[in-house]
Amino acid sequence: MKTVQWLICVALLAFVAPLVAEPGYIIRSSDLMDEPYRDATSLAELEEGAPVEILKRKGGWLQVESAGKSGWVRMSKIRKGKAPTQPAAESEAGGVLDLASGRAGTGNVVSATGVRGLNEEELKEAKFDANEVDKLESFAVSEQKAARFAQAGKLIARELEFIPAAAQ
Amino acid sequence: MIFRILLVALLISGAATTHAFDLGGLVKEITKKPTEDSASEQQQTKQPGLLGLLGGTPVEEEIAIGREISGRLLGAAPLVKDKHLQRYVNQVGAWVAKQSGRDDLVWHFGVIESDDINAFAAPGGYILVTKGLYKKLHNEAELAGVLAHEVGHVIKQHHLKILKQGQLIDVGGGLLKQKVGGDDKGQAIGKMIGSGAEILARGLDKNAEYEADRIGVVLAARAGYDAYALPSVLQEIGHVRADDSSVALLFKTHPHPEKRLVELGDAMDGHAEQFDDGKVLADRFYRLKGMSKAF
Repeated sequence: MKTVQWLICVALLAFVAPLVAEPGYIIRSSDLMDEPYRDATSLAELEEGAPVEILKRKGGWLQVESAGKSGWVRMSKIRKGKAPTQPAAESEAGGVLDLASGRAGTGNVVSATGVRGLNEEELKEAKFDANEVDKLESFAVSEQKAARFAQAGKLIARELEFIPAAAQ
Repeated sequence: MIFRILLVALLISGAATTHAFDLGGLVKEITKKPTEDSASEQQQTKQPGLLGLLGGTPVEEEIAIGREISGRLLGAAPLVKDKHLQRYVNQVGAWVAKQSGRDDLVWHFGVIESDDINAFAAPGGYILVTKGLYKKLHNEAELAGVLAHEVGHVIKQHHLKILKQGQLIDVGGGLLKQKVGGDDKGQAIGKMIGSGAEILARGLDKNAEYEADRIGVVLAARAGYDAYALPSVLQEIGHVRADDSSVALLFKTHPHPEKRLVELGDAMDGHAEQFDDGKVLADRFYRLKGMSKAF
């Protein structure tokens, strides 16, 4: 039964949009699992800062290769890009927020010029702009047009149930 | 006669609006108020709206409230002047929203001039995405996922529920006891919404965000898109430095993307088979200047 499930899983993977293999690194020590599920078997523990090669994605999981082993790691434990030279040294708690706060020193710096933010104060002061709403409403697309657009993209509507929150 | 009409009005409100704001006597009180065109008995039989304040049907009220909120947001950050972009976003959005079953709404989507990374939903089907967030996207499925999350807020009436809570407090304060109708209608909406578009800066309960994420992946999948595109966007946003001002409001009003990823991943785990075979449509994705073509 387990094997069948695994085969189905592999078959499904074939349909999941593959990513071009790209480098990444572990931002919080994490188990390398044999399957992309919480209760799968841990193959190894990946240390914070360990470089990985990201192969593909399935749900919240990424299939990676690290030190010759292949397996699955939660998306949230991995950051794309090259590992910083001193990954753990500057990080006190070692969590994603430390890395996210720039201690890892990589990318995503927004230019200070021309930045137009939307902070709380600006939202509070915001005044109704009738012209802009009219313009917004003028772009509305009818159901028929939406269906044609979907057809052009070969999008096929499917009947699916909403999913409940995972049991805690 | 009047009594009978009121009774009918109450019955209608009870039967037709299961989600109606149950104010009992107050609904009666408000629907009795004169409106702009007439104070006739006909008005009293009209189905009172969710907030029972404006004399319209629930949907009319929902739209009026959403229009006001989004108009104010647009006052702070206007639409990006690119009609091809706006049309494209409406095509994707309309197709995704169609899967929600709320075909009583005309859905509106727009990209607004802001380098912030954020997206907003207002009642009645008004959904606005910042240019900063749009530039983080790689393909049409990711756009669909983001819009579908916002559609989730609208169909679950998350913001309306907050306004409803505010109403309850105001009722206690006697605010609603004033005459409402006619020229005061706009003012009434204004009072309900508060100052500017602050309702959008207040944020929702974290469970409402997790719920919108779960709805988002299902709507995207129903529309034929790769359901995993929304988690992908969350991962991308999670990489933005937490002290970066572009995510200040987003991170204040939403659980951290990492937490959302874990919640969503866990919820999707048991339903993997329903999320296979979706389309990514990277080729058709409308790119703004300077956007990379990477996967």
